[in-house]
Amino acid sequence: MIEQFLYASPMATVVLGALVLMLLANSTLTLSRLNLIAVSFLGLSLILQFSLYGDKSTAFLFETIFGDTFILDDFASIFDMMFTAGAMLTLLINNDYFKSHTYFSGEYFALMLFSLFGMMMLSHAHELLTAFIALEIASLSVYALVGYHKSNKVSSEAMMKYIVLGSMTGAFFMLGTALIYGSVGSTSLTEIANYVNGNSLDNIPMLIIGATFIMLTILFKIGAVPFHSWVVDVYHGAPYPITMYMASTFKIAVFAIALRLYLVDFAPINSFWTELLQAVTILTLFGGSWLAINQSLVKRMLAGSSIVHSGYLLIALSSIGLGSKVAAPAIMFYLIAYFISAAGAFGILSFIDSQSKRQMKYEDFKGFAQRRPYMALMMSIFMLSLAGFPSTIGFLGKFYIFTSAIESGQILLAGLGILTAFISVYYYFKLIAMMYFYPSEEEQKVFPVNISTILIVMMALIVVWGGIGTTLIPYIPGADGFMEIAIEAMSSLR
Amino acid sequence: MTPDMFFLLASILFSIGLVGLVSRKNLFVLYMSIELMLSSVSLLLATLSKVLDDTSGSVMALLMIGVIAAEAAVFLAMIIHLYRENRTIDSDTFHTLSQGENNA
Repeated sequence: MIEQFLYASPMATVVLGALVLMLLANSTLTLSRLNLIAVSFLGLSLILQFSLYGDKSTAFLFETIFGDTFILDDFASIFDMMFTAGAMLTLLINNDYFKSHTYFSGEYFALMLFSLFGMMMLSHAHELLTAFIALEIASLSVYALVGYHKSNKVSSEAMMKYIVLGSMTGAFFMLGTALIYGSVGSTSLTEIANYVNGNSLDNIPMLIIGATFIMLTILFKIGAVPFHSWVVDVYHGAPYPITMYMASTFKIAVFAIALRLYLVDFAPINSFWTELLQAVTILTLFGGSWLAINQSLVKRMLAGSSIVHSGYLLIALSSIGLGSKVAAPAIMFYLIAYFISAAGAFGILSFIDSQSKRQMKYEDFKGFAQRRPYMALMMSIFMLSLAGFPSTIGFLGKFYIFTSAIESGQILLAGLGILTAFISVYYYFKLIAMMYFYPSEEEQKVFPVNISTILIVMMALIVVWGGIGTTLIPYIPGADGFMEIAIEAMSSLR
Repeated sequence: MTPDMFFLLASILFSIGLVGLVSRKNLFVLYMSIELMLSSVSLLLATLSKVLDDTSGSVMALLMIGVIAAEAAVFLAMIIHLYRENRTIDSDTFHTLSQGENNA
């Protein structure tokens, strides 16, 4: 029993931290102090996750009480670590942002930790209703965070759009769950997997319809194209830290449950969705590119490009259905790669915004390389990685994804993916061109050394090291190290 | 009443919710449509629980009511906030973002 508490401790630490921060929200503590408290809770949780990583003596958390509701495996642990690291990076990199924008208050940190708790619950969920509740905990906190800039109409509007569409897809998720419950008689993923394995595809139409509804919810949450209408607006309206959090962490959280469902439990009926997924993938790749090309705000461009990245991930997801062996680790690797690159790019944007307080258009980056040469260098590294340029982690991510597509015989999808990668060079390199090809009237500014810039430098180094690195430096995974992590995580999935 | 009638009722309620969500513009009506969709799923779960003779469906319906209540809190707070800011809750008036480029 005691060790069960130990397994639950990372999640418990986060939710405890959220409650403590909620109580402290109206105290006289400054925002930096509250930030420090939030980060220390997250750090404690991360340390616990590291120490508990590896072989677990039980498969399910509190099996006598919860049944098989919460699963304990390396897959969930790695996702937990990524979420916690994402939340910590968001809080630390935006330390200056909180200080320079007056609308932030103490509740922000509590909401952040609550949504993190929801995501961790989501990666451990082994039952559909638990997954729904976890998704709602995470979503409801993110809805409130999106509208956090209360006096800004854009922020409130983004929240309105997100909450209406998000709640609607929540209803679809529950409808899917109800239909699956109706045909299986249980919502536990173990039972569902047994049921699916025991019946042929033609005998279980109700379950297939239910699972398709759940898939619609997942496609909506990752912003695949027929369901993408909210992405650009919400990412634009939300304050930078929230955009960073949503683009890097929340998107990965949705993939955690998607992979668990479609890799393990719905694996026998994956063939049913192959054409559907392929169509959605093609639409996502081109629709996302179209959206990204048309934007003049860098934030909106990154939002559009995050749709394209969902498209790459969907390529691998449909490859899984066609029996590719590399596909599952490829998704995991790509998630790690995208997480680091997107968090870094948004981190730099929020750093600039905390200094100059305006939305950054492409034109605002003219002469940026002269004003802030180091920042421009790191922004270029993140852009190169997002575009999939060799020697960055983004290139390897795309490499594995396209390998999996070719392995499963989806030559068309691989070709289209490479084509959109070329298109993406346009909007990413436009920013680099803006930074480097124009002179600046202003003097070069000093590189400020504080926690946010140090973290951004570290992430830029990881992006490069993840592309070319080896196991030379202990504890810092290089290119093959990240792949090993990905394979390990996927092999523990059951 | 047979379970079939309940299934019919649940699907009618869900469809009304979906149509309301698509066609109406008042934020309150949008909110009610979403609640209607979620509640119809609760009804579906409760009916299935009876049909399958299994209590977990009813438990799920109960838990869903909790989730719906949490969502209602956020949604209503947002409607009040939007009304204070703009003096209207017509969803068509919120189009700053979709017009796109020049807003801060």
